[in-house]
Amino acid sequence: MHQRTVPCQFFAPQKIEEALEILSRYGKEIKVIAGGTDLLIQYYDRLYEVGDWLDLKNIKELKEIKIHQNQMEIGAMVTHVQLEKSEAIKKYFPVLSQAAADIGSPQIRNRGTIGGNIVNASPAGDLLAPLMAYETQFKLLSVQGERIVPAEEFFIGPKKTIIEPAQLLTRIILPLPSERTYGSWIKIGKRKALIIATITLALIVEMAEDDKTFKNVRTCLGSVAPTPIEIKEVREKMIGKNFSQLDFNQLGQIVEDKISPIDDIRGTKEYRKDVAKEIMINALEEIDAAWRSYK
Amino acid sequence: MNKLIIELTINGKKRKVETTISTRLLDLIRDDLHLTGTKEGCGKGECGACTVIMNGELIASCLVLAPQADGAVITTIEGVGDDKCLDSVQEAFIETGAVQCGFCTPGMILAAKKLLEENPHPDEEEIKRGISGNLCRCTGYQKIFDAIKLAANRLSKKGGGRGEENA
Repeated sequence: MHQRTVPCQFFAPQKIEEALEILSRYGKEIKVIAGGTDLLIQYYDRLYEVGDWLDLKNIKELKEIKIHQNQMEIGAMVTHVQLEKSEAIKKYFPVLSQAAADIGSPQIRNRGTIGGNIVNASPAGDLLAPLMAYETQFKLLSVQGERIVPAEEFFIGPKKTIIEPAQLLTRIILPLPSERTYGSWIKIGKRKALIIATITLALIVEMAEDDKTFKNVRTCLGSVAPTPIEIKEVREKMIGKNFSQLDFNQLGQIVEDKISPIDDIRGTKEYRKDVAKEIMINALEEIDAAWRSYK
Repeated sequence: MNKLIIELTINGKKRKVETTISTRLLDLIRDDLHLTGTKEGCGKGECGACTVIMNGELIASCLVLAPQADGAVITTIEGVGDDKCLDSVQEAFIETGAVQCGFCTPGMILAAKKLLEENPHPDEEEIKRGISGNLCRCTGYQKIFDAIKLAANRLSKKGGGRGEENA
């Protein structure tokens, strides 16, 4: 281990600009900490290895949920419990709210943040499939300026993203869906609380103006590939059709065929493929029922 | 070397504590403040033995860095009830036999108090969800559910039922 002559520091600025300044100065040397519910586990027996910390807790701007024109902007420090309880999120993005409610435990939901879940980029991150399904974009800021990146382009591998050391994820931007939008959230794990997902599915279906045919469909899954993924083939099969023209079994099969899960402690590849098909069918049935009862 | 001083309010008392940037809040509470009612079980946020209430929220103190708690208001199990009078939740745990080895009890009581504060009349599912971050390996949970129901009944009879009688 290298010896440092300068003492390590703990920064907790109040302004985004100060945080960006610190990041530009320290770059890779500094650890950005939000809720800490992933980082403190990752560094459980080697916290002393971290040199400097940049804690975002004092930046109020990052804790806001706002609706601005046709989009919702969620600050990176918004906690899972805020996502779960926000009336606006329940109304416009129920799948995100439900996914947040399924995370960890009360203790974890009170501390863990949406920004942390995104930047940690676990293939099993509970919020990631819902965010991708809602066509979310991330705002990355640095002293150089801002960059807006769609969720699809942000994740590049297990725990790997395109964020650069000098960049800070500040906002999560979701376009407000139309009223004819339906969603389903399914998380499979060995127990309800404190479980890393074996598989997650966020299915969002937007009906066209006639309220009969599908205008947009987003089928996103977690824990079945190196990053959260969208199954585009489902969208291609569904757009322009209506519920009576769908073969749920066939759509489930497409999901099963298109995912690339691995064997791990939480489940085998075969198990995940079987379950992916079944939960896709369940999600379609749920949305079909919701659409019928709403009509 | 990497030392800093933080200020926090713990169980109603303001304290200034010297700590380091890589100390966990849990270690600060146990080793520096000598409040050993807060336990370390897994150290990874899964068992809830280190649960405390920070700024009104139930948290796992093993997942918080001490400097993150600078300026915070914290309640540990030592801040619940007093020498003369136990809190209603503590009384209910004793009466129903919800304490066996006792290791999970401080965290469990804080989780139960927080649950009843937010939801004075929880049903069984809500109780399960409220204490889902706290593991108990002795009781099988049934007596803990009984204790929480008993405390809920008593608190609602007292009126208010916000569990603030010790504040």
